[in-house]
Amino acid sequence: MASRLGPGGWLQGKTVRKGGALSSNNTRSSTPQGVQSTSTTIFGGGVKDASGRTSEFFSMDDQCPVCKSDRYLNPKLRLLVSSCYHKMCESCIDRLFTLGPAPCPICHKVLRKLAFTPQTFEDLSVEKEVAVRRRIAKEFNKRRDDFPDLRSYNDYLEEVEDITFNLINEIELPQTEARIAAYRAENAASIELNMQREEAYAQTLREQEEGEKRERELRANQLRREEEEEREEREKDKREIIDKLETSDKNAAQLVAKSRANALRRTSARAASTTIVQSNAKLLRTRAAKDIPDVPHVPFNDNYYAYEDMYKLRPGGYNDFFSEAVRKDREGIMRAGGYKVEEAWDRALRYAVAGLDLSPMVGLNDETDMTVAMSEDAVLTVA
Amino acid sequence: MDAVEKANTERQRRWVKDKKVGEGTYAVVYQGREASTGRKVAIKKIKVGQFKDGLDMSAIREVKYLRELKHENVIELLDVFSSKTNLNLVLEFLDSDLEMIVKDRALVFLPADIKSWMAMTFRGLEFCHRNFVLHRDLKPNNLLIASNGVLKIADFGLARDYADPGYKMTCQVITRWYRPPELLFGSRYYSSAVDIWSVGCIFAELMLRIPYLPGESDMDQLKTIFRALGTPTEEEWPGHTKLPDYVPVGQFPKPAMRDLFTAASADTLNLLSKCLIYEPRKRITAREALTHPYFFALPYPTFPSKLPKCSNQFSARPLEEVDGNVEMNASGPGVKARSLKRKLTPDEVEDRRSIARRLDFSKHTPGS
Repeated sequence: MASRLGPGGWLQGKTVRKGGALSSNNTRSSTPQGVQSTSTTIFGGGVKDASGRTSEFFSMDDQCPVCKSDRYLNPKLRLLVSSCYHKMCESCIDRLFTLGPAPCPICHKVLRKLAFTPQTFEDLSVEKEVAVRRRIAKEFNKRRDDFPDLRSYNDYLEEVEDITFNLINEIELPQTEARIAAYRAENAASIELNMQREEAYAQTLREQEEGEKRERELRANQLRREEEEEREEREKDKREIIDKLETSDKNAAQLVAKSRANALRRTSARAASTTIVQSNAKLLRTRAAKDIPDVPHVPFNDNYYAYEDMYKLRPGGYNDFFSEAVRKDREGIMRAGGYKVEEAWDRALRYAVAGLDLSPMVGLNDETDMTVAMSEDAVLTVA
Repeated sequence: MDAVEKANTERQRRWVKDKKVGEGTYAVVYQGREASTGRKVAIKKIKVGQFKDGLDMSAIREVKYLRELKHENVIELLDVFSSKTNLNLVLEFLDSDLEMIVKDRALVFLPADIKSWMAMTFRGLEFCHRNFVLHRDLKPNNLLIASNGVLKIADFGLARDYADPGYKMTCQVITRWYRPPELLFGSRYYSSAVDIWSVGCIFAELMLRIPYLPGESDMDQLKTIFRALGTPTEEEWPGHTKLPDYVPVGQFPKPAMRDLFTAASADTLNLLSKCLIYEPRKRITAREALTHPYFFALPYPTFPSKLPKCSNQFSARPLEEVDGNVEMNASGPGVKARSLKRKLTPDEVEDRRSIARRLDFSKHTPGS
């Protein structure tokens, strides 16, 4: 059940912060994910999020499997992952691999200090699969257009998936590696070509983004300029009025009214131009264009009122075993937690009277009288 | 064939599974339809046999409560049947959820839209509470949106009936960001007020468009809450220091809500602050909330079918349960981090191996 709680189970929120939660959400879901993975490492190496940061997995019950040191003993504990997918803490890595390559203390594979990477996923097998897929995607990068028909494309995908599967589960490793090598030798040209295409695509995306950014800045600048102009105009108007009041011999009130009217005309013209922008923004809303009027709020739209008036709780409450539990709770723990004994009474009564006014089922007519009698009885006891 | 089996096969025939749309730790979700009418449904196949103690608890809870609750704003369980050893729940098919809508930056929310969603949420919740069922996992992605815009509460995997006298309940429920302080303090006796807190958080999220109280751990969650709403005093919440897991997490002043929710009306803030009252017994109930002036004030709540909808096309999947433990079948090349946790039976491994043998790589040249 713990895994159900906590949004995004695998990422223990190192980069998820207030305000940051949305920025880490990849809004450009159309980007092919192969573009993001430019790392040359064969293994994990941390997965980058949209902003290019590596989010590292971190948990309170981390423990180094080599020296058994945990977060309680060493609050700065940081576990890194080896190329054979075993975790160990930084001090163990320092201790074991400073003097050159040494065997992994868990599986005895020879490792180097540089080949340790931060962990992104809680599950190391996911880490491994991501790494393998990243590696495979770099070379097996054909697209649908490279194939004459869907069938052969599907066959190709099947093969890729198959190789990936073998690598992940370490089935027939030498043969699989040989297959990859054979593929690479055969398709060197097309791999290169596809890589270039991919890059070109990423480039266009980047340019598009740049363009949008420029446009936004432009708009902001324009708004600022307009505001500036408006302010200047207002200043000028004020000055003019004062000047005119000084020099002219016309009625002061008339002069002021005239310049006010001028100012008003200008602002309304400006407002009209901005409403165009606003209405453009409104178009973004994918609202149904239907003319359904909004109706005033109705608290309940079901047969809520059928429940009412069936019974009333006694104002003083009841002295039963429900209230017993609350009375025993001297420290007010139940109260502080929000437990309401009234709800228990309410529930007991509701269950007792629910269905009393339903007409009996067909064929049970004989018992009708009894039901009515019972319901009256119940109401009496309740009251 | 005995009568029970016969009835079961008859039920099974009513529904057709079309395609798999998601897989979680305890269920696989299929899109399907009713054989006679063609009406779209979501079929949730519960994996049985994986669990030592029989059926998963949340499946039992889901069936138990959904079977009883029938309301416009609660997801409808249409049928339950078994196939071989699996349990199948047939649920209403719903296009999207509130989380997707909140995250879709292309959408603009009007105050009336938020009012409409809140009214529907409160109506569904009031119905659950009226029937003495606690949902205990309210969050935007458990509030599903039908194609006509009507909001429905879903995922009753953590639901429970309440108001039994003196039975202890677990405090390890509700997704952390939406968990009320009394649960964080380990209270074992609580009431409908826990769901109201979650709704309050959702309400705030609809206005802010980001999660309101995103704590990084249970401890941090308390700190986040207190930072946003001020540390409760003994007066504000009598007895909270006596709760089982009470720990002082520091004193924070009470900032004015107006500073964060600059555009909200006074009514809105009033209802929001009543949903986020520390003392659970003083927190507004769903019934009271529905008669709050906020809902009656202008603008009127938007008519459901006019509410903003997700424009992106990947929403064509039943989000009956899309929380952390459901993986979407992402398609396309590249790294698929979330669809990796599949388990293969020995048979399947053997099967895939034979495919590998059939496809001899050195002879086959794709693309040529």
